[in-house]
Amino acid sequence: MKSWHSAALSFVVNACAVALLCSPALAEYEATSSALESYMNVPMPPGFSVVNNELEGPVFTNAEGRTLYSWPLHQQRNGYSGESPGTPACYDEVLTVTAGLMSPYPPGIKLPDLDTRPSCTELWPPVYADDNAESVGLWTIVPRRDGTKQWAYDEQPLYTSVRDSKPGDVLGGTTRRYGGDSPANRVPIGPPPNIPPGFAVRTTTNGRILTTDKNYSVYAFDQDTAESSACYGECTRNRIPVIAPELARSKGEWSILERSPGVRQWVFRGKPLYTYALDQQSWSLEGSDAAGWSNVYTQLAPPSPASFTVQKTLAGNVLADARGMTIYTYVCGDDSADQLACDHPDDTQVYRLAMCGGGDPARCQEFWPYVQAGDNETGENSAWRIVSIDPETGRFAAPEQAGALNVWSYRDRPVYTYGKDQKPGDVNGAGTGEWRGQRNGLKAIWLRDDYMRGTL
Amino acid sequence: MNVKRIKPLAVLGLTTLVTTGVLAETSAPFVPEDGRIGYVMTNLFWAVYQTPDGKEECPQGYNDGPREQFAKLFPNHEQMTVEETQLKQEIETWHPTTEPDPLPFYDVEGPLSWGLNLDGEVGPNDFTHPDGTEGIDNEVYRAVGCIIGFRGPDGVEVIFQDKAITDRRYNRMMIELGDVDDLANDDHVTISIYRGLDTLLTDATGLKAMPGGSQRIDTHWGAGLVRHTEGKIVDSVLTTEPVADMVMPWMNLGVPTIQIFRDARFQLELTPTSANGLLAGYADVESYYKQLIRNDSTHHLSNGQISGVSLYKALSRLADAYPDPETGAKTAISTALDVKMTQVYIVHPPGEAEGADPVTR
Repeated sequence: MKSWHSAALSFVVNACAVALLCSPALAEYEATSSALESYMNVPMPPGFSVVNNELEGPVFTNAEGRTLYSWPLHQQRNGYSGESPGTPACYDEVLTVTAGLMSPYPPGIKLPDLDTRPSCTELWPPVYADDNAESVGLWTIVPRRDGTKQWAYDEQPLYTSVRDSKPGDVLGGTTRRYGGDSPANRVPIGPPPNIPPGFAVRTTTNGRILTTDKNYSVYAFDQDTAESSACYGECTRNRIPVIAPELARSKGEWSILERSPGVRQWVFRGKPLYTYALDQQSWSLEGSDAAGWSNVYTQLAPPSPASFTVQKTLAGNVLADARGMTIYTYVCGDDSADQLACDHPDDTQVYRLAMCGGGDPARCQEFWPYVQAGDNETGENSAWRIVSIDPETGRFAAPEQAGALNVWSYRDRPVYTYGKDQKPGDVNGAGTGEWRGQRNGLKAIWLRDDYMRGTL
Repeated sequence: MNVKRIKPLAVLGLTTLVTTGVLAETSAPFVPEDGRIGYVMTNLFWAVYQTPDGKEECPQGYNDGPREQFAKLFPNHEQMTVEETQLKQEIETWHPTTEPDPLPFYDVEGPLSWGLNLDGEVGPNDFTHPDGTEGIDNEVYRAVGCIIGFRGPDGVEVIFQDKAITDRRYNRMMIELGDVDDLANDDHVTISIYRGLDTLLTDATGLKAMPGGSQRIDTHWGAGLVRHTEGKIVDSVLTTEPVADMVMPWMNLGVPTIQIFRDARFQLELTPTSANGLLAGYADVESYYKQLIRNDSTHHLSNGQISGVSLYKALSRLADAYPDPETGAKTAISTALDVKMTQVYIVHPPGEAEGADPVTR
């Protein structure tokens, strides 16, 4: 087992295992691991600003520092949920029955915990606009049905999340991939990354990965500098320089290397960029297996707890606990028209208890035990922190509560191992639950996979 | 086997043979270059013997799926809660039991089945092969044969699981025959099982796998999948010795899952461009079930009228091998799968010594 001290170093670890040449690359990567993503300055109304979150990159916040979210329209199996552009759909009503958006279950079934079920706006307070507020750039004002006004960005109405308790928190939603049969999630919004045309940035478990706009990973070579490439001849059979247009100019972290007369290569943070001809999927990490080569991130994800490890599976590397057992997150969104999340300790626990133990908390602890934190463990950051959980209810425990467990949480949600994983590298619990673990289910935390884009 | 002895056709590449039509014109034995030939899996699915109207094997009709069962169990669901209905069914699915099924479930009742005689015996529960061979062990067929989703040509599992074999690199299993003197008759050949790293060579439609492609061996993530066995070829049919525990990666809809086959053996009709036939053995019941439900949600199962709840009970009831040492309950179930492979050039890691295991060397 390898010690895991930075969630974005998996590819470097892989290279070490292959080539035993990891030290220079590792040191260099650690030296740049504190870099943050640069973003485009877009016009904003008074009171709004941009905060850089370690996991999500730059996000918009309101005057209190609360992250702003939108709720994009999302196709489900039996219809749509979310908000059409310019049309708020989140109101102060407690919905009582399922919407039947997810086949095969019909609509009209009573939702759980109705006596304590919140309304949409109790969880997602709208970002109201003053009567004299004016549109600025992509920021516009949309009417709510009660006559109040709500800020929108790119026509999507804006909300804050009650899950965010302090400025900089982005716990209500994520920019990581969702789709297919996932709920209609709320998504933090922010300014576009400050990258030239032809590139893109995507949030992954390892950090904000830089790719071409066709989603091909870009790579850097540790023997290159901003002024010179060490990759010529045979090297370029599989390593394809990312060519800058004739009119492109250096700006900020971006510069250009003329690697041969008339052939201009993009350089990011002092490293010329390449794609890898043998990559088999978008957002690939395969090209970082060779010694000296690494994927490029605009910023790295915060490190996971020091006791955690990385384990090799049939599909790639997963995050694991100190014993090497795969770590899972629980994902849940209900089938109401509100698509309320049910994966946080403050949400209803009915769904989670059903899936982890057939409704029995004791069986949950047997089949899906919490990843408990050691007495002396620390290392909390915006992704990982230790929380106190009442294992009987699954909710946050009261201070000094007897029987409470100190467990690791990822984005404020406890993480688990699976009782039927027998050895390091087992991922027998991945995809457990409704819709292949995409709603009311459990997913492994993939740090590297070559088959199903699990890091997205 | 002496692979160095003179073999008239060994010096010719397979592509040359195929493109020049030599194979069709000659009666000389086909001897692959260096005595080795590789095949990559392009199709795999549970062998289901079907009559046109299903009446012979399923006289009581086909089984209900989750949608039909929900309607029968909860006719007044609008007066009920999520816990009492949807979650109750999901709990049954994810925490299955071997308790008797409260709803009817129809096993296959016909006498015929595809498959092999795995235990060398002819027992009262065995099927008969359509060619008259008795003693066929295929209890998976008995469990799934009256479920629409497992019946061809358009059952949901037939489509999704089989298509995934072609589409998903995670499932890219292949075999390499060694020490081959004659692809038609050879009393001893070696067989190595690997996972490949690459997409399949296909025709212009992208749908039909073609011979002549290449596959690098996955020595990284797939090292634990490598197996070795031996076999013989009689009249172009390869029969292998059983592999004690063969792990088959089988990602269907994006979840990396596996099937575990005990005593797995191939029976394949070989040509220089293809290897088609059966993979048979005993499927681990838990792995079989979890591979199905982790990839296919209740929605997908509904499309094939596959009740996970009922199927688990049936698989457990019909399991016929590998009793649990503590409980005595059988943990594995006999099965056979239709398998198709196409010829591929297997690329061994650079520097690999002749005959060395590419993974453990």
